[in-house]
Formats: sequence, C-alpha cells, structure tokens
Amino acid sequence: MRATYFFLVLSVFLLALLAIVVHYYRRRIRTEKYPYGSWEKLLGRFSAVNRENLALIALSLVDEFGQRREDENDADFDEAEIWSMIGGIKGLETLERNCAVLVDLVFYVQQWYPEALAIAEQLRLNAREIEWHIGRLKSAAKTGRAEKAFAEHAEEVVVIYYVMTRRVLALYEEWSLPGLLELQRTL
Amino acid sequence: MQLTGIDLLFWAAGFVAHVILLLVLWIRRRVATFPFFTILIASYIIRTVVLYFTAGSKHAYLLAYLSLGSVDLTLQLCVVYEMASHVFRPLGNWAPDARVRLAWIVFASIAIGAGLTWLSAIPPEHTLLRTILIRGNFFSSVLMTELFVGMVALSVTIRLPWRTHAARIAQGLGFYSFVWILIAAGQSYLGIDRSVRIYADLTYFRMLTYLICAGYWIITLWVDAPVPKALPKEMEEHLLVLQRHVGAYLQRLRTMGR
Repeated sequence: MRATYFFLVLSVFLLALLAIVVHYYRRRIRTEKYPYGSWEKLLGRFSAVNRENLALIALSLVDEFGQRREDENDADFDEAEIWSMIGGIKGLETLERNCAVLVDLVFYVQQWYPEALAIAEQLRLNAREIEWHIGRLKSAAKTGRAEKAFAEHAEEVVVIYYVMTRRVLALYEEWSLPGLLELQRTL
Repeated sequence: MQLTGIDLLFWAAGFVAHVILLLVLWIRRRVATFPFFTILIASYIIRTVVLYFTAGSKHAYLLAYLSLGSVDLTLQLCVVYEMASHVFRPLGNWAPDARVRLAWIVFASIAIGAGLTWLSAIPPEHTLLRTILIRGNFFSSVLMTELFVGMVALSVTIRLPWRTHAARIAQGLGFYSFVWILIAAGQSYLGIDRSVRIYADLTYFRMLTYLICAGYWIITLWVDAPVPKALPKEMEEHLLVLQRHVGAYLQRLRTMGR
C-alpha cells in the first residue's frame, strides 16, 4: 500500500517538475523573442490620456522640438486650469505609467535597430525625471505645500512627457516602422 | 562480488570519460572558472579506482560506496552553488532579488526531498547500510533535480541569462539527476540485490545515461562559448555623452532637492 502511495506521489512530483521545466523553457524563448511582449500587447498597456490638453499645456511652454519658449504665449494656463486639464495627481500617475510603455516601445524597435539604443536610454532618463517630479509633488502634498510645488513640477512632467511622445513618433516615422498609424492615434 | 564483462566495460568507459573530461577542463582552462566541478570529476576518477579495488568484498564495497557517496553529494551541492553564483552573481554581487528566493528554493527542495524519501518503501530484508544507501541515493537525486529546476525557473523569472558553459554543466547534471530519481525509486522498491536482473538493468541504464552526459560535457566544454556582441564604437561614444548628460542632470536635481 505504501509503495502504491509512493509511486503515485512520485509520478505527480515528476510530472510537476517536467511541467515547470517546459513552462519556463517556453517562457524563456518567448522572452528572448519578445522581451517586452508583442507590439499589440505593448500598446494595450497604454492608458488613455487627454492628448489635446497635454499638447496645449506643453506647447504653451515649449516648441515642437522641446525647446523652451522665450516669448509670451496666448495659450498660457494658470495652475488650477492645468490641474483640471491633466486630471490631478491621478492623471500624472497615468503619465508615469505610460512612460514605461514609451520606453518599451523604443526598446521593441531596438531589437532590430540597435541604433535606437540612444533614444531608449534618453527616454529612460526622461521617465526617471518624471518619476522624480511626481515623487516631489506627492511629498509636497503631504506637507501641505502642494500649490507651490505644483507649478514647479506638474508643468515639467507634462513637458517631458510630451517631448517623449514626439521622440517615439519621430523614431517610428523616420524609419517608416509598422504601427505608426496606431501610435499616432494613441499618442 | 562477481563482476561481469559488461560491468567492467561500463567501469572502464566511465573512467576514460572522466579522465578525458578532466583533461578538457585543464587544457581549455576551465578549472579556474569551475573549480568545484573539476574537483567533482577528479573525485569520480578516485571513486572508480577505489570501488574497483574494493569490489572483492561486499561489505568493504558498500562502505566505500557510502562514504564516497556522501563526498559526492557534498561536491554536487558545491557545484550547484557554483552554477548559482555564475548565474545570479554575474558582476560579482548577488542579484538582490535572487538571494532570498534561492534560499526558499533550497529549503523547499530539502523538505520535499526528505518527504519523498520518508515515503519511499524499502524491502524489509535489507540491512541498515543498504537502507541508508538506497534512501541516500534517492534523496540526493531528488534534491539535485529540484535545485536545478528551481534555478532555471528563478533565472527566467528575474531575467538573468545562463552563460553557455554553466548552462551545459547544469543541463547535464539536471538531466542525469532526473533519470537517477527513476532508478533510485526503482531500487527503493526492488532492492539492490545484484542477482536480481532488473537491478542490473537499471544500473546499466544509469551508467549509460551518465556516459551520455559526460560525453556532452566533453564536447560542450571543449568548444568556446560564443563571444558576446561588442558595442559599435559610435554607439559607445553616444552612450558616454548620454552618461555625462545624466551626471550633469543628476547634479541639477540634487541642487533642486536642497
């Protein structure tokens, strides 16, 4: 009787080991092929944001190439307007999450075009900046200095994010990569 | 103990395979990279010689087999550590998320191995020495297989690649340990009486599996590992510029934070 139990348990154990090996082997192959998942899945991770509002705020502060505007612009917004246009701290957190997707979208290209490495690194740096600004905003909110910190950090987040989206679009456009239309609709 | 022609053939083949493997490790300068694996292979050569000369007495053979078996298990665990340090310590430091998970894998492997060994059935007519031998074989085979499977799963989860030679050694040991589980389980049910035909067949099957693994190691350790792709000069310069930019920006952020 004990022998029966032993062989039964042993069979389950060996099958489980085999299943684990097969599962992880397939996962490794998939990871090597698509380190950040398939392109469609990548784009699916993108959370919806109000693109028009973001562009309005960003373009009031910088030009199309991300350079700071020297002149006074008509579309200048006050802090309360910007806060509601970007959806408050939740909106900023969405932008933070989307930054990771933007980096992955460029990394996806880098698998076939190693030249994209520099852009991927630049976007990683930008994503880190955004993370830092949002962290500062949250700390300021805890100490009741949110209003003062908002002007300094939220605008920066929007500008950096907008420039990041333009960089990704420019990369796909320059190399005529598939998926550009979907990207234009999403970003 | 009577040795048949096929027994002697397997012993000789094992001895020759280990000597060749040791030479490969030495000539291709893999000794410094895999010191424990080299010691393990050297210990197998000594074991083959010792067991050959003690084969005349059943008791002496069993005692020698058991004591050398404990050395074998200890060295195999050292090889597991060696492989783990190659995979999870690629730049000299343990990957932060690997250490605790590895410890869990080790504890879980010991617990499951001990549980299965306790459950295994031993023919009642066996002596204490033989019981220890059978259970020891079974426990070590289960433990080794679990550790290698656990390491593969963990490396995939935390995305650390296996360097070619370490991967080949682990594949060989993992595969042999897996086959050994089946044989050790058979031994725990059927006993280790050499007069029983099935025992002899299982032993030959184990030896054949091991010879295949040794052949695999000889070939794969002789061949050089693929050279990693070098970064183009232009890209390297680009990254250096970016690094300087990051440094300057970091400085700016620190100033803002004050």
